[in-house]
This record gives sequence, C-alpha cells and structure tokens, in this order.
Amino acid sequence: MDSTQPTLILDRISKSFGDFTAVSDLSLEVRPGRVFGLIGPNGAGKTTTIRMIVNITAPDTGTIKLFGQTMATALQDRIGYLPEERGLYKKMKVGEQLRFFAELKDLHGKEADTRIDRWLAKLQLSAWKDKRTKELSKGMQQKVQFITSVIHDPDLLILDEPFSGLDPVNVDIMKDTILELKSENKTIILSTHQMEIAEKLCDDVCMINRSRKVLDGKLRDIRRSRARNAVALRFEGSDALLNDPEVVANIRQVGDEFEVLLVAGADPQVLLKRLVDTGAVVTKFELVEASLHDIFIEEVKKAG
Amino acid sequence: MKKLFAVIKREYVQRVRTKFFVIATILGPLLLVGFTVVPAVMFGIKAGGPTRIGIVDQTGKMYARVAQELVNDRTRVQTRKPPQSATPGFNNPNAPGDREPETSFVVEEVRADGRSLDQVRNDLDARVARKELDGFVILPPNLLNGEQPEYSARNTADLFTRTKVENSINRALRSQRMVENGIDEKKVEQMSEPISLRTSGAGGKESKGESSFFLVFGLGLLIYMSVLLYGQFVLGAVIEEKETRIAEILFSSMRSFPLMMGKLIGVSLVALTQMSIWAIAFLSLSAWLAGSSFTVPHIPPLIFVYFVIFFLMGYFIYATVYAVVGSMVTTTQEGGQLALPIVLLLVMGFYLSFNIIRSPNSSLAFWASMFPFFAPITMLVRIVTETPPFWQILLSLGIGIATAIGLIWVASRIYRVGMLMTGKKATLPEVWRWVRQA
Repeated sequence: MDSTQPTLILDRISKSFGDFTAVSDLSLEVRPGRVFGLIGPNGAGKTTTIRMIVNITAPDTGTIKLFGQTMATALQDRIGYLPEERGLYKKMKVGEQLRFFAELKDLHGKEADTRIDRWLAKLQLSAWKDKRTKELSKGMQQKVQFITSVIHDPDLLILDEPFSGLDPVNVDIMKDTILELKSENKTIILSTHQMEIAEKLCDDVCMINRSRKVLDGKLRDIRRSRARNAVALRFEGSDALLNDPEVVANIRQVGDEFEVLLVAGADPQVLLKRLVDTGAVVTKFELVEASLHDIFIEEVKKAG
Repeated sequence: MKKLFAVIKREYVQRVRTKFFVIATILGPLLLVGFTVVPAVMFGIKAGGPTRIGIVDQTGKMYARVAQELVNDRTRVQTRKPPQSATPGFNNPNAPGDREPETSFVVEEVRADGRSLDQVRNDLDARVARKELDGFVILPPNLLNGEQPEYSARNTADLFTRTKVENSINRALRSQRMVENGIDEKKVEQMSEPISLRTSGAGGKESKGESSFFLVFGLGLLIYMSVLLYGQFVLGAVIEEKETRIAEILFSSMRSFPLMMGKLIGVSLVALTQMSIWAIAFLSLSAWLAGSSFTVPHIPPLIFVYFVIFFLMGYFIYATVYAVVGSMVTTTQEGGQLALPIVLLLVMGFYLSFNIIRSPNSSLAFWASMFPFFAPITMLVRIVTETPPFWQILLSLGIGIATAIGLIWVASRIYRVGMLMTGKKATLPEVWRWVRQA
C-alpha cells in the first residue's frame, strides 16, 4: 500500500443519540504502518467513533473513507476490532470460538486452522485450545479475544483499551505483538485513557474530550511544542536549596523526587551546578518532556 | 452467505451437543404422553376402593334392580349422551371428559325397621360422617310415578358417581315399568342389551376416535411446547450475546439481518433434528407394536409434513418476537417478564384448539386458524380433525409466512440498535423510533 495514502479518513463526522451529542465534527487521518492513539477520558466519544469506523453505526453527517473507499459492509473484513467490553461465548471451546470468529471475517478451512494454531502458540495459549472459554482466566480470555481481532490478518486493527486487566507479563507480550504488527505495515488505532501507554506506543495521537477533537498530530511534535522548562530531580540535602526564585518557578514533590519547573529562560545547568556546589548528592537529574497527561489536562482546562 | 452459514453452524453444533438437548429429546415424548394421557387417566381413577352406597327402598320392589344396575358393569357404555355441540362429521365422541370412569360400587339395603324416614336419614348421615358409607339414596314410595329420589353423599362434587347412580336408577326404573306393563322379564333384558359405537371418520375411513383425539391434542401440545421451548432458546441466545457484548464483534463483522436469520435458522434446525429423532422413534415403536394388542395412533404421513410446516411457521413468528424482546432487555429475568404476553398468545391458541376439536368448521375455528399467532396450532388441529378446504390451508400459511417475514424485517432493525444499547431496558417509543430510523 502506498504509505502516503491515509488508511482512514474521517471527514467532519457527527453522531448524536437523541439530545446527546457523542461525536461532533470530528476529522482525522490515520496513516498506514503507524500506531494512532485515540485518547480521551471515559465518555469522550472514543467508542462511538470506533463504532462508526467499523461500520456498526453510521455517522449522522460527514463521511468515512477506508482504504480510499467509502465505508461499506465488504470493507469490514479488512478491519480487526477488539472492543472495550470483551465478549466471548463462555461455553465454546477456545479453538472453536476462534474458528467461528475467523469465519465471520470470511477466513475458512485449513488456512484458518493454521493461523489459529500459530496465534495460540505465539500468545502461549496452545494448551488451552480444547478448553471451554469460561475455564480460562480473565487475562487469557483477553488474549483469546485479541486473537479474534487479528486472526484474519486485517490491514486496520482497532484496539479499544487492549491492556486493561492484563498482568505486566502479558502487557509486554501484547505491546510486542502490536509493534510487530506495526512493522508489517498494518495500521493500528489504539484507543485508551491511559496516557502513559499511549506515550510509549503511539506515533500519532488525537485527543478528544466531550465529543470534540482537542488536539491531534505526531506525538513527537506535540510534545516538543509543549516542552516546558522542567526537571525531575532527586538529591540528598536540604530542600531549601531549591528556594531560588531567580531559577525555580514551582516545585512539586512526587514521592522522593521533585518536579521542578524552571523560570522561563532559565538554564537547567545553573540549577545543577548550584546543587553540586553546595555539596548535595544528586542521584537523578532529568529534563522532563511534557507528558500527554499534562498536555491533556492543559487542553481540557483551556477549553473550559 | 458464508457468514450466514457460519452463524447457522455455530448455533446448531453448539446446541445439539449439549446434555440439555439429549435430555430434552428423551424426556420430551415422556412429557407429552404425561400431559395428554395422565390427566385423562387421573380423571377416571377413583381412588380409595369401591364406593359404598346405602339404598333405602320405600317402594319395596326396586332395590334388587337398582343394586344390580349399580354393581353390574355391562351397562357402562350404553347411556352416554352425545356431546351437545357435536356437528356432523365430528369424529371424536370419546373425548376423555365424556368418559365415565370405572367406578365400582358396594351396595347395601337399608331397612327402616320401624324408624321414621327422618330417623333413617339421620342414622345414615351419621354413618357417612363415620365413613362407614360414602353416600345413600332414598327411593320414595311413588318413584315409579315420577317422584324424585334423594341422593346424599359425602362428596357431592364427584359428578361421576352421581351420574352413575342416576343412570342406574333410571335404567332400573325403565325395566320395572316395562315388567309392570306386561313385558316378559327376558324380553326386557334383550331389549336393554347395550351396544357401543364403532367410530369412523367421514368418508368411511376406519379410525379410532379415542386415539384420534389424543393425536390432535398431542400434536397441538407438541407445537405449543416446541415453539415455546425453541423460542426461549432464541431469547436466551440473544440475551447472552447482548450481556457478554459479543454483539459488538458480530456487528463489526456482518449485517444484523443475516446474523438474526442465521440464529433463527440454526435453532430451527436443532428443533427439526429433535423432531426427526422423535418421528423415527415413533415409527419404530409403531412397527414394533404392530400386531400386538397395544396400538399407537396411526398418523398419516401428510400430517407429519403439515406438522413440520406449521411448526416452522409458528417458530419463526414467535422466535422472531423473542429475538426482539431479547435485544430490548438487559437481563434474562427482564426478558422473561417482557416475553410473558407472547407466551399468553401462544397459550390462547392452544386453548382455542379445544373448542376447534369439537367444531373444526365453525367460524371461530376459521378465524382462529387465519390469525398468524394462533394458526400454527389451530390450523393443524383443524387439518387433523376435519381437513378444511385446501385454499384455507394455503391462506393461513400465506398469512403466517408474510407475518414472519414482516416481523423479521422489523426485528432486524430493532435488533441492531437494541443489542448495542446497554444499561437499561428499552421503552416501546424508543423501539418504534429505531424501526423508523434504522
């Protein structure tokens, strides 16, 4: 696929339910081979947006173009979707379950079986293939659900809160898998309200709040443009050392660390030198980039 | 199309493999026999031994005859009254409700021995109260001229015993009058020789009225039970997909119409599988019992065909409504409540069939068999009792199929929206809006 052509274009889409506006005038572009973060608090309109992308509901106004075509039922087979609220047939065996969902995506026969086995092995679930789904732990069920969304090798993968309920080991497995799919030039939309995860995985982000887009662009650009003159700091010595209004604008203590916001234009090196000169033992000194969390809070405040 | 097939396959395979299916397949016929035969038998059984009747004969000559009539079994059949609403062509005179149960009597002559009638009556009452007797009859002196005898019993609700006593007295009275009018006692016996009806369907087909009644009743009940059972399967399946949020993935893969059709067809195939097993078992049983004294009702092959057609029609109508209900509610309990009116509709159809068995060509029968929610049971009942003109069968089927298609069309619109709505039960105005907007 031509990497310059966007996989998905939303053009000023809106969706209301009765008096409630879930999505209003949202436009965005998602490019292939990238992880696109759709971030925002609960109830911002993320799930409604995704439902329109996967053609479960249609927007009231605006258009959706996927792979250069207007949205249609046939395109659904090229999308993989992991909904936020997981759903599996409890009484079905894992293997049969995957086979059923593969067939729903028009993947049949031997090819389906081969891929099911490959994915089960990859996510360390092979031993559970003939077990009923309800016998699996929540984390395992989640991985099974993930397989249902990738089994048909979709070009666009939409993951709604893929890490919720996973233990750290499985979070890592999932992250690696997502990055692997990305390297295969798949397009991935990651919807989450966990900003730290978005920061680690996403290339591009779109923030929505109360049905509206607040901000979008490349994550790196956004963070650079919002770079604040701040330092994360840990040292042994008197706190009073930081009490210098010429350099330090604000101090916030987080555990045994300080997050120090410097006065505009002040050189962080001045602060470091001063600390070292007074004999403090500095164990951490790091320039802080603006976190998505902070940016988001800032944007929400700005919007009132 | 392949996706539709995948849905059908899943519904079918997952259900046929369950223990529930195996158990229901085995228990179904037993339940059916239980529901049809047991009440009739129960009705007929007089528990607790023979009925003890005391007879006070003030005529001085009637006791022997009455006692003989009561005790003697040969008179059992002869005085049956025809059903009042019977129409020509009605071929089920032996409905269980009409049958006199087998009741045996022990009769005892009570002599006044100088007591006044009131004293005798009081003494008898006391004996009934002590449970030495179940009841007593006082034959007045002027019985032969039409004076009413008096019957008193502990259980006056036991209509069968009462009727039996009444009939016995009447028969005894008739014989006595004949003898008194100079007819030889032997002649009287000959003239009173009872016969029983040999029942045949119109057109000279030999049929056994009783088994035919059970056949009609059984088929009606079977449709009723199956539609209810499999309709609720659909309800359960839809609620499961809504509760577990599987619906979201399903709708992201296919349209709601084939999804719902797949579900309906899949479950209907489960039902047909079960019925095929029953049919095979029934035919084997018939073949095995052929020639023995115990006979099972003979079912013409065409009835099997009609049964399947009308079952499917009923199933698709009711199961579709169940699917809508399932998509509107949030829990199984709510589903059960909301589905209650549907069940009542089905029950009404079933009860109507009692009337239709008696008069299958009445205008009530006609309209009931045209109304699509009743037709699956009522039309089948008409076909089995007295086959209506073919155009009526076709019309009933046509209306039913059109209704089913219309319902499915509306339902698939409600289904899609309802399945994705969580948290609260949908209201009817909301549902109406979905139908218009979808």
